[in-house]
Amino acid sequence: MNSLMTHPNPRQKFVLQGIALVILGAVFFPVWNVLKKTHVSDVPISSVARVPDPLSNLFNDLYFFLSISFLAILLGVTCAFYLQEWLPETNWVRRLVENQVSILSGIPSLLYGLLAVLIFLPYSGVIQKIETVSSDGNVGAASLKATVFQGDTTLFYAMLLTFVILVMPRVIKTTQAALRSVPMPIRESAYALGASRSQVLMKHVVPIAFPLILAGGCRAMSCAFATAALFIGVCIWSHAPQSGQMTGGFVLFLGGSLILSILSSFLIERYSPVPTRNT
Amino acid sequence: MAINCNMDSQTTPLNYSIETENLNLWYGDFQALIDVNVKIPDGQITSLIGPSGCGKSTLLRCFNRVNERYGNVTTEGKIEVLGKNIYDSDVSLPELRKTVGMVFQRPNPLPISVYENILFGLRIHSPVGHLTRAESDQIVEEALTSVFLWDDLKDRLKVRATSLQLEQQQKLCIARLLPLKPRVILMDEPCSALDAKGTLAVEELMEVLAGKYTFLIVTHNMAQARRVSKECIFMFLGELIEHRETQALFQTPQHPKTADYVQMRYG
Repeated sequence: MNSLMTHPNPRQKFVLQGIALVILGAVFFPVWNVLKKTHVSDVPISSVARVPDPLSNLFNDLYFFLSISFLAILLGVTCAFYLQEWLPETNWVRRLVENQVSILSGIPSLLYGLLAVLIFLPYSGVIQKIETVSSDGNVGAASLKATVFQGDTTLFYAMLLTFVILVMPRVIKTTQAALRSVPMPIRESAYALGASRSQVLMKHVVPIAFPLILAGGCRAMSCAFATAALFIGVCIWSHAPQSGQMTGGFVLFLGGSLILSILSSFLIERYSPVPTRNT
Repeated sequence: MAINCNMDSQTTPLNYSIETENLNLWYGDFQALIDVNVKIPDGQITSLIGPSGCGKSTLLRCFNRVNERYGNVTTEGKIEVLGKNIYDSDVSLPELRKTVGMVFQRPNPLPISVYENILFGLRIHSPVGHLTRAESDQIVEEALTSVFLWDDLKDRLKVRATSLQLEQQQKLCIARLLPLKPRVILMDEPCSALDAKGTLAVEELMEVLAGKYTFLIVTHNMAQARRVSKECIFMFLGELIEHRETQALFQTPQHPKTADYVQMRYG
């Protein structure tokens, strides 16, 4: 029986995994650098007196938020796939991570916002700048905001860290649930026909689970946006009650959060597995 | 434990599709198979009977190594499929599963069209773009014809396979194995979700295909085992108790436990 004797080549597998890693790295590092440059170092430090264009600032913020959320969601989805599809349920790493994830995802997102403001931001030396600016008086909210985004590179890491802690556990949890919701018989039949794990994943599991994974991502992002909106709101009302220029940001983030949460509930409503006839 | 292995057939020496040697299997600490030695003859229907939880399905799932996926499974011993030990390190699982097809208890067609269901196996085993349209049409027609579904489904090849009747789904599950040209087909209670008519249809189909493929069928239905199989294996609590020709096993069981089971004193 010759067909049973074909050698699976472990070296080939190793090389493929290596290539995948290199590609991932090649994709991630430029993104990382671009993000760092566009948002943090390369933004020209404007003088405090010049009030930057509030609208461009807003979209800059939104872009910044979206790219960070995208990174955090990507990281979370990858992590969930690894946990759910590669590690056996008894594996201690999986159990540890799942426990941590369920604890972290149970914490209200507001607390993460506080975490960001109280712990991460002081380390990045931004709070001091905000205070200096606002103590100058007559500066207005827009420049206050500009200063926040002209902080040094650590600000980027601070925000990323907050986002990772805020978004990732939620994304991991919902992605795992989405993957679990793919009916077992589908996987079984594909495996029994000789499909490899990646073929089963790419051809059946991911297409079926994708809407729910997307919904999870949207929900996590909506949470993050709501927190951001809240903090912008607090910032406006405490520092510059008259200005009104930052309300745009508040509305934008709040609206984004609402739209995302509506989108995610639509996806869940439409695509969650319902017990169907004959399956 | 008296393992009454093998038949007293006087015919020409049989070729065996599957042979196991001291096969032991544990799920965690629980030993599900104890020293199983079995030889499944080529090109016949062999049935596995026994009370629930006796290891029939576990044994069946060993032969294409699908039970490894459940994790926490330890296997010891030797399983030779077509003369090759399937636990050797050079065995490729996709190739093994191509050679040893499996039909499950509940019909489990993939949630894609009938046409794509039949080609799925072939597609994953051949390079992209390997099949021409004409070839794949022909393959689908052949596969469906050999399970007597072509006339029913020829106008409905694009419908979702999960929307078919259960009987048709189960036949489709058999049909989609055929393009892969398997040598052995494992069936785990293939008729338990079907009604009498569907059962009959699947049994007839097995009888027609039996010369070409080796069938190994797990069943709770002893009447079915008597009807379709040439040889019968009785298992009890993870051990193989008796393996003989079906008629002999049912009429003159040699082990008291087999006698109890086939005369339905328990099980």
